[in-house]
Amino acid sequence: MKIGLVLPDVPQYSETFFNYKIKGLTASGNEVMLFTGKKNTSRKDLNVISAYPVSSSDVITQSLMFLYVILKTLLKSPKRMKKLLNLESKDGKSFPECLKSVYINSHILNEDLDVLHFGFTTMALKRENTASAMNAKMSISFRGYDINIYPLKNPGCYRKVWENTDKVHTISDYLRVKAITEGLPEKTPFMKITPAIDIKNICQANIRENIAEPRILTVGRLNWIKNYETSISAMKLLADKGIKFTYEIIGEGNELERLKFAVYQLGLEERIIFAGKKDHDEVKDKMQNTDIYIQPSYEEGFCVSVLEAQASGLMCIVSDAEGLRENVIDGETGWVVPGRNFRAFQEKICEVIEMKASDRKKISDNARARVEREFNIEDQNNKFREFFETMLNRAN
Amino acid sequence: MKVAVFSGNIPSTTFIENLIRNLSSSGVKVLLFGKKFREVKYNENVEVLDTPDSGFSLLFFLAKESVKLIFRDTRLYFRSAGIIFKSDRGLKNNLRELGALLPILNNQPDIFHIQWAKTLQRNPYLFELLKCRFALSLRGAHINYSPINDPALAESYRKYFPAIDGFHAVSEAIAKEAVKYGADIKKINVIYSSVSEKILKNEIAFKKNHGEEIRIISIGRFHWKKGYHYALDAMKILIGKKIKFRYTIVAQGEIPEEILFILNDPDLKKHIELKSGMDHEKLMSEMRSSDMLILPSVEEGIANVVLEAMAAGIPVISTDCGGMKEAVSDGENGILIKVRDPELLAEKISELSHYSYESKSEMILNARKTIAEKFSEQNQKDGFINFYNSILKY
Repeated sequence: MKIGLVLPDVPQYSETFFNYKIKGLTASGNEVMLFTGKKNTSRKDLNVISAYPVSSSDVITQSLMFLYVILKTLLKSPKRMKKLLNLESKDGKSFPECLKSVYINSHILNEDLDVLHFGFTTMALKRENTASAMNAKMSISFRGYDINIYPLKNPGCYRKVWENTDKVHTISDYLRVKAITEGLPEKTPFMKITPAIDIKNICQANIRENIAEPRILTVGRLNWIKNYETSISAMKLLADKGIKFTYEIIGEGNELERLKFAVYQLGLEERIIFAGKKDHDEVKDKMQNTDIYIQPSYEEGFCVSVLEAQASGLMCIVSDAEGLRENVIDGETGWVVPGRNFRAFQEKICEVIEMKASDRKKISDNARARVEREFNIEDQNNKFREFFETMLNRAN
Repeated sequence: MKVAVFSGNIPSTTFIENLIRNLSSSGVKVLLFGKKFREVKYNENVEVLDTPDSGFSLLFFLAKESVKLIFRDTRLYFRSAGIIFKSDRGLKNNLRELGALLPILNNQPDIFHIQWAKTLQRNPYLFELLKCRFALSLRGAHINYSPINDPALAESYRKYFPAIDGFHAVSEAIAKEAVKYGADIKKINVIYSSVSEKILKNEIAFKKNHGEEIRIISIGRFHWKKGYHYALDAMKILIGKKIKFRYTIVAQGEIPEEILFILNDPDLKKHIELKSGMDHEKLMSEMRSSDMLILPSVEEGIANVVLEAMAAGIPVISTDCGGMKEAVSDGENGILIKVRDPELLAEKISELSHYSYESKSEMILNARKTIAEKFSEQNQKDGFINFYNSILKY
């Protein structure tokens, strides 16, 4: 089977989700082609085709490029081009818009594929008719941003995507439920495949006898949806109680000014560290020297960092965001507390600090065992194979 | 006394325009430099010396101003041109820069009053070329949080603050922050912003509460520092307590994702109304039809909307950030609460809604007294005249 995977960019080595997915599918005898928005030659091991550039700055080069690509597509795949033009014009687009659609899809259109899979739902925007035009099946992945954030400012943006999608891959049950409120038909076939962890590469962190001076960690972009203000306020309460903790936040993003100000205002500069962006191995190492992992997010699709923290056997305290509730089993592999409630976070942290080491060890073992059992790479690979195979069988 | 009020833009923000009006009406000669975006009517004491942005008008302007300065002080002209053309901004930008500098040198103000601290590092040569006293206003974000995340900016403050002869601080709180970057406390004058006398003259409509529904309002642009996400959390708590209310946010600008996300909750949405910016008169009537104004901010200089609400007789709940406690005394002329605490905010909203007519009236009258005593136009005018005089004497 030949699968085309549409992504914004070539996955970095640290983006395990796509790497495992591609590896797994290839290993089971499929051919995977990657279609990216940007030109990037960093991964020689992958079969990558990048889109033709779109820039508005240089009109002449862009026009010549446009002409060249349209002619090339016309010669190479006249039927598909005609079909795409027809479909786009049926959607009410003007002729120049239809041609533009040919341009941005031409790198895909010229290939022969069984399935065209969009790694993010937003990647399918403006490419809603591409799969049909090339007589391929179309499937999409839901990630947190696609469903939780993007439609806020673009209501109804996925209407055409829903119409053309043959199958949905969701990383949590909740994301599909949310997508249904955004208009996804309930009858659209779907499969839940959560992110997975290669537990062999992750050691269980040492459970310290005494964590009266806890080392606390959060990993994630500095974005409003991560809601770091809540964890920072919780730290203020801990400091007021005289607890000598360190809280490290790994990640970068556009909220640094806001968060640094919060830390400054609450007088926590000595205790809270913004560590910036770290690579995957550094994060793994950091987790080995951490006692408590917290995730205060407003919302998460699923959150791989929390999964890695559990694989490392850390005490995980997460908000009751829907995706996180599927990720952590409250009282068993970690704890789920009301989101945006800094008092609740602080209370839970204090409870954990006072737990006996043996009780903490139990939670740690539970968390690790569950990751191994339910979020392993082998399962993920099998499920992805099944995902694509059943889609094609249904068609036959 | 000739004072250059330097913000870079003509016209500038509301409070800087107010300052210009106040000064010129008290007989100070005000010079305005920078780029003119729109024609503004000032009185005869204001002189607008704007620099054209580009093209022939800029070249013509440069020629005229160059001749003027060469006649007045040839050495100064060549020194200035030398400094400007040493930089690597490119010819066009250098010409613009020179076009901005020449009228300042040709019109020699007694005091050059820089409105924004962040611009200090942009034209440091002014200190070298301009023989006059320098004043700097200490306002909001420029002092309170930008330098925390921007070490280069903090460094520029440490470098150029010693060259300033007098600082105008919008609150005691911001004065304290500026000292951390090397501002000499002896040179800092706190001058509060003022509330229009018209609002103070209006009669207060003492009202009973609107039946069962509490009407709550917040006013101010969308920005994280305004803390609207905390206010909305508080509203969720009120819903949980089955308290009936309606919360209106009047804010300019695009609604941030975070606020859209919180408002995606259908239960909450029913109780919230977002209104975009409106003219001042409408704003005041919007405020007057509310039972209380809340300021959920995490950072402020001193928020003018709170001062205006106090003058208009609307009870206020404000967070204790920036200089807010210099206007609001908890339990006397309003309610002051800790920042970043939605539970506390919800509790205080409910508490205030249960105030008796008498205690509410007392609070309102105290608030108006505070404004009349501390935040009057006359106070602000006198404050600036004294400030400038002290700099000139210094």
